[in-house]
Amino acid sequence: MSDTTPTLVSGEPQRPRNQLVATGFACAAIAMMMAGALGFYMARRHASGPHPGSDWLDGLAVPNPQFDYALLTLAASMVTAHWALWASRRRDTAHAWTAIATTILLGLGFINMVMYSLNRMGVEIGAGEYQNLAFATTGLALAVVVVGLLYLGLMGLRSLGGSVGQQGSTAFGSAVFFWDFAALVWTVTWYTVYVVK
Amino acid sequence: MSENTTASTSPGVPVEDPTPFGWLTTADHKRTGRLFIVCSLLFLVLGAVLDLLVRLDLTSATEFVTLGSDSFAQGFAFSREALTLLFLIPAFLGISMYMVPLQIGASNLAFPRAATASFWTWKISAVVLIGAYLGNGGPYGGWANGVDLHLLALSGLVVALLMGAISVATTIMTMRSPGLYMDQTPPFTWSSLVSASMLVVSLPVLLGQIAILYVDHRYGRVFLLGNYGVWERIDWIHRTPQLFIYVVPVLGVAAEIVLATARRRVFEPLAMYFTIGLVGLFGFGAWTNFGITGEGADIIDGFEGVVLVALYGGALLGTVGLLGLLGLAVIQNRKLPKISTPLLAAFGAGKLVLVGALVGLIGSAVDWLEIAGRGNDGNPQLRMTTWVTGQQSVLIYGAGLLGLLAAIHWWAPKIWGRQLNELVGLLNFLAIATGALLAFAGPTLSGLFTEQPDFVYADPATTALYAGWVDDSGAEGFSALGAAGVVILITGAGLLLLNLFISVGLKKGLQADDDPWGAQSPEWMLPSPPPMGETDELPMLTSGTPLLDSTESEEVTA
Repeated sequence: MSDTTPTLVSGEPQRPRNQLVATGFACAAIAMMMAGALGFYMARRHASGPHPGSDWLDGLAVPNPQFDYALLTLAASMVTAHWALWASRRRDTAHAWTAIATTILLGLGFINMVMYSLNRMGVEIGAGEYQNLAFATTGLALAVVVVGLLYLGLMGLRSLGGSVGQQGSTAFGSAVFFWDFAALVWTVTWYTVYVVK
Repeated sequence: MSENTTASTSPGVPVEDPTPFGWLTTADHKRTGRLFIVCSLLFLVLGAVLDLLVRLDLTSATEFVTLGSDSFAQGFAFSREALTLLFLIPAFLGISMYMVPLQIGASNLAFPRAATASFWTWKISAVVLIGAYLGNGGPYGGWANGVDLHLLALSGLVVALLMGAISVATTIMTMRSPGLYMDQTPPFTWSSLVSASMLVVSLPVLLGQIAILYVDHRYGRVFLLGNYGVWERIDWIHRTPQLFIYVVPVLGVAAEIVLATARRRVFEPLAMYFTIGLVGLFGFGAWTNFGITGEGADIIDGFEGVVLVALYGGALLGTVGLLGLLGLAVIQNRKLPKISTPLLAAFGAGKLVLVGALVGLIGSAVDWLEIAGRGNDGNPQLRMTTWVTGQQSVLIYGAGLLGLLAAIHWWAPKIWGRQLNELVGLLNFLAIATGALLAFAGPTLSGLFTEQPDFVYADPATTALYAGWVDDSGAEGFSALGAAGVVILITGAGLLLLNLFISVGLKKGLQADDDPWGAQSPEWMLPSPPPMGETDELPMLTSGTPLLDSTESEEVTA
């Protein structure tokens, strides 16, 4: 370094909330991705003619109770995720383990119920415009849920693996935040594709 | 200063592996930044060559001169994708990855390995994209699996660029030195934040669309016309106003260089941040136009016309405001700044952003007034003619490449430790500026006077054999003018690569000291280049212009 330039002074170490901020950015990106897909869906639906009247659903019937139960399962998993976060902040390992395991089980149950609902509904890829659109939009929303589940599991294990402290708790908090967001993504998708249709 | 020796003496910092494996797994933002910069320059040449072939095809109204009827549409599509997703966005992302941590006193990017992963994902996706085109699998291609591959490669590119953008944006949000508030950050850092944030909220829309395009194309081709339905849905990412998001960092580069050369602070920093933000903000929303509806790029009603006029007007206002503030800073200095390649290129790039916004405003206003006045009379709107190609050229080639030339010349000492040859730089500036202006003027005039269509989605071959669209053959001459411009541009890009090779690769460039330009932002307090792995102590910054502060306090003391 030359003599003419001032010397750098060491600053106070920061406590960055990198993961939370990055998760926020990722959520914004995913929200726009879903906006793109659902916007596409709605534009096609609008172009298909007045509703009701047109055969937009290709003769399929939406199994509402099954989708409703899936949504309730997802809502329950949000509660258990926050339970896990609460427990990890209190360093209550037993509660945290139980809550994370329950959340993951509920998440897997949700995915299973959605797959069952789609099977029951008879959605077949390549069989019609609505079915292709439903497959793509639902697939994207399910992918977000799967990513949320993996993120939650990974951060949960990290949190319980010793790095609970302030930073570990923030990291797990980011995963819980993402899980809440994934639930929101599913809710909007479900409402658009299976309720409003 | 040797990078490896410094790294090995820096406690608590992983030593960088100099082998190729080290470049593959690096966690150093400087390496990742360099990889992005150099590779995007190479892709620029590829994209520009394809653009040249497309323009040569348009120099004849009766026959395909170069690409042929089968390949014309794919050549057109590839040149657009290469110039935006393989050149413009990654080039400035690379510069941001390199410079932002140095400008804010951070030891590294927020997620350095994610940044590296973003580079390799981008690189692999780029290779797959090229492979898909080579196999006749681009939009309008005849190889169905190749079209699917093209869509997957596009998804990979978008995901990669998003990872990089999130890494940069998070770094700026959370890793600034204590005491360096957001309104004190250097202009390039601010422009990087604006651009990265806007990329994060605009590019993913393409992912959502690609998911539907992929499903429909691969399974049944039920409603999107197969390979003919792809391009019209994704074309918005290569058009204005989306292009303004990609050139926001150019404004940051221009502000950085002009202020440092004038040795002034901007007269009202918040106004500068506001104007840069305005350009990014008004670049948002292109996807709502025809990406979703698939109704084409033309203005269909008065509301759409008003929105577009407002978007271009906002971008124009932001650019005018910023250039005005920079002009004031130069005037305040009361003596002419020293002319150099970065200064010329920075001024040129800023002005060409202005031209891009102005052309957009005129085009949308004329189309809007036409719709409002007498409805669509069947003639192509200005926005459907090569007027748009001209606008793309002035923003990508003019603002983008000139901005990159300015940034590379300005920061070469900090990136490679050597200064680039100034004489070659001046020639380079002349070549790129001349080439960009010709590449802009040809299609713009053609669109205005001959109504030559930009691209016909349903029947791309019509675009090349446009005889039915025009009354005279003036379009041929204008296309030749544009093609000549691209030839000069490619020469300019080649000169830049040659200058880099000789000055940096062969180490013929002057070895730079810490602050060869007498600049003022924090990165110039570090050695040139900063050691790999860097220091693990964060520098305490309380201003975005610490070197100027220091000079001023010395003058007061004296």
